[in-house]
Amino acid sequence: MTETADKLILAIPSKGRLMAKTMDLFADAGHAVVRVGHERGYLGEIIGLPNVEVRFLSASEIAYQLRAGLVHLGITGEDLVRETIVNTGKHVDFIARLGFGHADVVIAVPKCWLDVNAMSDLEDVGQAFYEKHGHRMRVATKYTTLTRRFFAGHRLVKPPGQPHPQWQAEMGPVVSGYVIVGSVGATEGAPAAGTAEFIVDITSTGTTLTANHLKVLDDGIILKSEAMLVASKMARWSETTQEIRTLFEDSLKAKVT
Amino acid sequence: MLRLERLESQARSLMATFRKNGFLAIDPPIIQPADAFLNSVGEDLRIRTYVFSDPEGQELCLRPDITVPTSLHYLAEHQTDYATARYCYYGPAFRYQSADAGPEKPSEIWQAGIESFGIDDREKAETEIVKVTIEALQAAGLNEFRLRMGDIELFYALLDALEMPKRWRVRLKNSFWRPRSFQTLLAELADPSGKEPREPCGKQVPCLDLNAPKQAKETVGAFLDKKKIPMIGVRTLDEITQRLLEQAADQRESGLSSEVVAIINAYLQISGPPRAALARINDLKDSAGLKLGPALKACSRRINLFAKAGIDLRCSEFAGNFGRQLEYYSGFMFQIEPAATGHTPPPIAGGGRYDKLIETLGGTQHVPAVGCTIQAERLLQAIYGVEDE
Repeated sequence: MTETADKLILAIPSKGRLMAKTMDLFADAGHAVVRVGHERGYLGEIIGLPNVEVRFLSASEIAYQLRAGLVHLGITGEDLVRETIVNTGKHVDFIARLGFGHADVVIAVPKCWLDVNAMSDLEDVGQAFYEKHGHRMRVATKYTTLTRRFFAGHRLVKPPGQPHPQWQAEMGPVVSGYVIVGSVGATEGAPAAGTAEFIVDITSTGTTLTANHLKVLDDGIILKSEAMLVASKMARWSETTQEIRTLFEDSLKAKVT
Repeated sequence: MLRLERLESQARSLMATFRKNGFLAIDPPIIQPADAFLNSVGEDLRIRTYVFSDPEGQELCLRPDITVPTSLHYLAEHQTDYATARYCYYGPAFRYQSADAGPEKPSEIWQAGIESFGIDDREKAETEIVKVTIEALQAAGLNEFRLRMGDIELFYALLDALEMPKRWRVRLKNSFWRPRSFQTLLAELADPSGKEPREPCGKQVPCLDLNAPKQAKETVGAFLDKKKIPMIGVRTLDEITQRLLEQAADQRESGLSSEVVAIINAYLQISGPPRAALARINDLKDSAGLKLGPALKACSRRINLFAKAGIDLRCSEFAGNFGRQLEYYSGFMFQIEPAATGHTPPPIAGGGRYDKLIETLGGTQHVPAVGCTIQAERLLQAIYGVEDE
């Protein structure tokens, strides 16, 4: 077996709190991550584990690379994994919740919609809106996959005896007659700007939503997300890399409270 | 014979029958503007549509069906005169299927179809579509099949005749297409007390006087001001007020009567040979003392026209809940299934009336329209089976 076949590639977020928390957690678990070469470089290694190559990537790029099998393990938000990888169970395994990066993917509508507080209200309003305005209600979001699934009545439900939820059909109210308008940034400003009727976006404290005069629907939480250690099922696994995976799994889980 | 050759000769046969009956062959583009589909059907279809953008950023799609492109063709040809037109087509349509869906559910579907626009005698136009479809299927070699049909307008007429607030009628009509939501809604309307009670007015919503609806808008506006909630978005204060009034009115309602619920469910369960089924609907109407207006007469007339046109009613069925999977139809709906026994086989052909589509696509006039699509691969399979692939 060649040397490269026995290398485990670990993707870590390249900036922000997500990176800092990840580095802390690994150090805590006895696997300090150090950058290799240039200080602003995107490669790293773990002291004492020569068979691990660390790559610093953006959180969404990590989700793509997990799907493609270009990295073995990655740390990124559950929201990005579930959004990027439609058939999540086929491409990746969620290994461990890491206890940071908490945020909810929610449906938020204008506060002035006093008559709309639940998904069933949205479905109700949709038809009247279409007839009056001549176009479907527009949803601004970067979470198109999650939005479509949730509005089709699917829900993330934890099957008995399993640690992570899975999508299940016919679990919740259906919303139809809407169209998604893509949004890459400042999604929460879309309703006030008149470019969308409501949004699906991530929120941790709700401050941004409030500042933009939006409220979360009572049954409008699509996903309670946090940072996860995720394994790609598409990458090639050897005995050595499998052992390292187990090592990380055990040592990280022991440190997550 | 190779499958491809069979498919091609079948296509020639189908198109020959269509042309012989006066349908003009057209070839609408495979690449279509995405918004035409998305606005008429919405995100449900978009999930399965291949959407992409051109270098200038215009959103395009691979056509997920050929009815909308044909309607756009009609609009381009007849946007001033809205004359009568009959078109036929053959070509691929594209709908995403997940990799697990299996070979019997391809993402690229070959369709042959006919559409007629602007014919005011609706039952006559419907009869023509069904007759020509069956003739084409038979000429292509299909001997045994079943014709199943329904009529959404008849169901709407039933709801119109039943005692309930108008807004409930609208909600029930809109949810017909989603049986599970429909039953949930029906149960909720039958027993409003089962639903979690809304908070008393004053805190989250203003208290509105149902006897003075004209002042409601002012009350809602003042409530928003007091709470320092600005109006944002395109939905107006009028629309919000209107719905708050409806919600307040709902709280006073005692719910649908058990008789009304029973009549709706009885109607949805009726199915059988067309004349027998219509007779049962007639009985239901008489025993409940309802007036179904022209919708029931139209159904009877249509069946008589079918018989006159030589359509075999012995292998036909009319069902009250038929069509709950079909999109954008506004009246008569039908499908043709292989006569295979056992589980319900997927339909070979399906169609119906879609009178609202032309206006949705930007037409300035109401244009009656009816059509049918034949799934070429399914037809081939029904004739030859799946062997010697």
